[in-house]
Amino acid sequence: MGFGLSHGIKLVFSLQKYNADYDLSATQSADTLAFVSLLEEKLLPVLIHTFWVDAKNYVEHTRKWYAETIPFPLNFFLPNAMHKRHLQRLQLIWGDDYMEDEEKLEKELYREARECLTLLSQRLGSQKFFFGDSPASLDALVFSRLAPLLKAKLPNGKLQQHLKSLQNLCNYCTSILSLYFPWDGGDPLSAAPRAAGTESTEAEEDPHKRRKQLLSVLVGLAAMLGYAFLSGIVSIQRGSVGPAGRQPIAMEEEEEEEEE
Amino acid sequence: MSLVAEAFVTQLAATEPWPENAALYQQLKEDQILLSDNASSLAVQAFLQMCNLPIRVICRANAEYMSPSGKVPFIHVGNQVVSELGPIVQFVKAKGHSLSDGLDEVQKAEMKAYMELVNNMLLTAELYLQWCDDVTVEEITHPRYGSPYPWPLNRILSYQKQWEVRRKMKAIGWAGKTLEQVLEDVDQCCHALSQRLGTQPYFFNKQPTELDALVFGHLFTILTTQLITDELSEKVKNYSNLTAFCRRIEQQYFEGQERDSAAIAARSSKRSLLR
Repeated sequence: MGFGLSHGIKLVFSLQKYNADYDLSATQSADTLAFVSLLEEKLLPVLIHTFWVDAKNYVEHTRKWYAETIPFPLNFFLPNAMHKRHLQRLQLIWGDDYMEDEEKLEKELYREARECLTLLSQRLGSQKFFFGDSPASLDALVFSRLAPLLKAKLPNGKLQQHLKSLQNLCNYCTSILSLYFPWDGGDPLSAAPRAAGTESTEAEEDPHKRRKQLLSVLVGLAAMLGYAFLSGIVSIQRGSVGPAGRQPIAMEEEEEEEEE
Repeated sequence: MSLVAEAFVTQLAATEPWPENAALYQQLKEDQILLSDNASSLAVQAFLQMCNLPIRVICRANAEYMSPSGKVPFIHVGNQVVSELGPIVQFVKAKGHSLSDGLDEVQKAEMKAYMELVNNMLLTAELYLQWCDDVTVEEITHPRYGSPYPWPLNRILSYQKQWEVRRKMKAIGWAGKTLEQVLEDVDQCCHALSQRLGTQPYFFNKQPTELDALVFGHLFTILTTQLITDELSEKVKNYSNLTAFCRRIEQQYFEGQERDSAAIAARSSKRSLLR
């Protein structure tokens, strides 16, 4: 069942207004729909598993990846929330205990994903894009699924290895990267969690990040001091040892109580 | 099943010929079976007919629970039980019968993609209509689904199934869709299928493949099942080459059979749905 199949279709139709699919014949448009279904059904769930649910990959790669680029303080809990959501989705689709059945996972699901990659490779053949010499929406979708898989440094990369063995798909991804994302040529990873276009604004965000961190620390301090003053733990007396004296006395009392 | 056991079973499957008493299990035709299950069952029957493999259709109220994967239909061949069209195609292939051997690599890729399209759109739309459209649920699905069982078991089972299906719909993003959007998707899918079929007799010209069986199963069931409204079948009727395709396959593979023919099956479900 397609995750974002309707999304994919809307992509096809909205892009038609912008001429990406204008030159496609009727059969090619039909093929687009079919291949979108294939991708969403067979490849996408396994990709989500590879990036978000597979323990090694998630902890060592994906979580760090997102935490580094999501602004403070969301980076503490947003990746985890996304992980939970994806796990839940996969459990609904594949059955609640699919994680335990290692063999089924490896045999059926990864095999189907590998088969899907092979089918894409066969369909692409030696063409530059899926429908000839100019790109269409299907190319955009396939690229968006394959490029992270190709470029990310995954510790557990079974699917990645299979993709790398399909030479025409690798060349296809790198050619689209160099054609349409030239600023990403050196380091495509840092911008990958968001659209590549926001890479230029990342440098600008750094001073904001610092400022936000400083502000939140200051706010925290102010809150603590305010509470201390208001509740009377700390009070300003003229020339007395009030603040410092009270606390040790209170602690000594607590110790005496505990001993009793 | 472990890898070794599966290899062993496949070996075993390959050595035994197709027996005469192979059976296909589905829910009760007249009273219980729903649109989506009927479509899946018909697709498997069509596929086996195209391969010239004899099969008996046995109707049991608990077919869903007997199935190894929880989905109908399933076939019982020799001492093996296989469910759903995909695994059945592979099983039949292991026995030496295949409809898609003559296709080249690109065509095989396209066939797989179109089969996914049908599963993704038509099957999901059928499930949506059956379980998420309140009117259909009240008047058709609930009475039919639990009909073999006494009260209150019938209500409990159908509510349980409805809850399960709705959870899945939410996971794949279909829960928020309206009926109009779902019918729109069905229309797009039929449009794509119609474009691909063109004026050919089958999707890959001269010979039918499992894609033809799958498309026939779904489209024929949609065309011949009476629901609350005719909107779903109207969407399919808009494409004349698809209706001609269904008629052609029905005539070629199901006519001349006294029992269990697709037409009789569909007509009986149609009759019983006219409450």
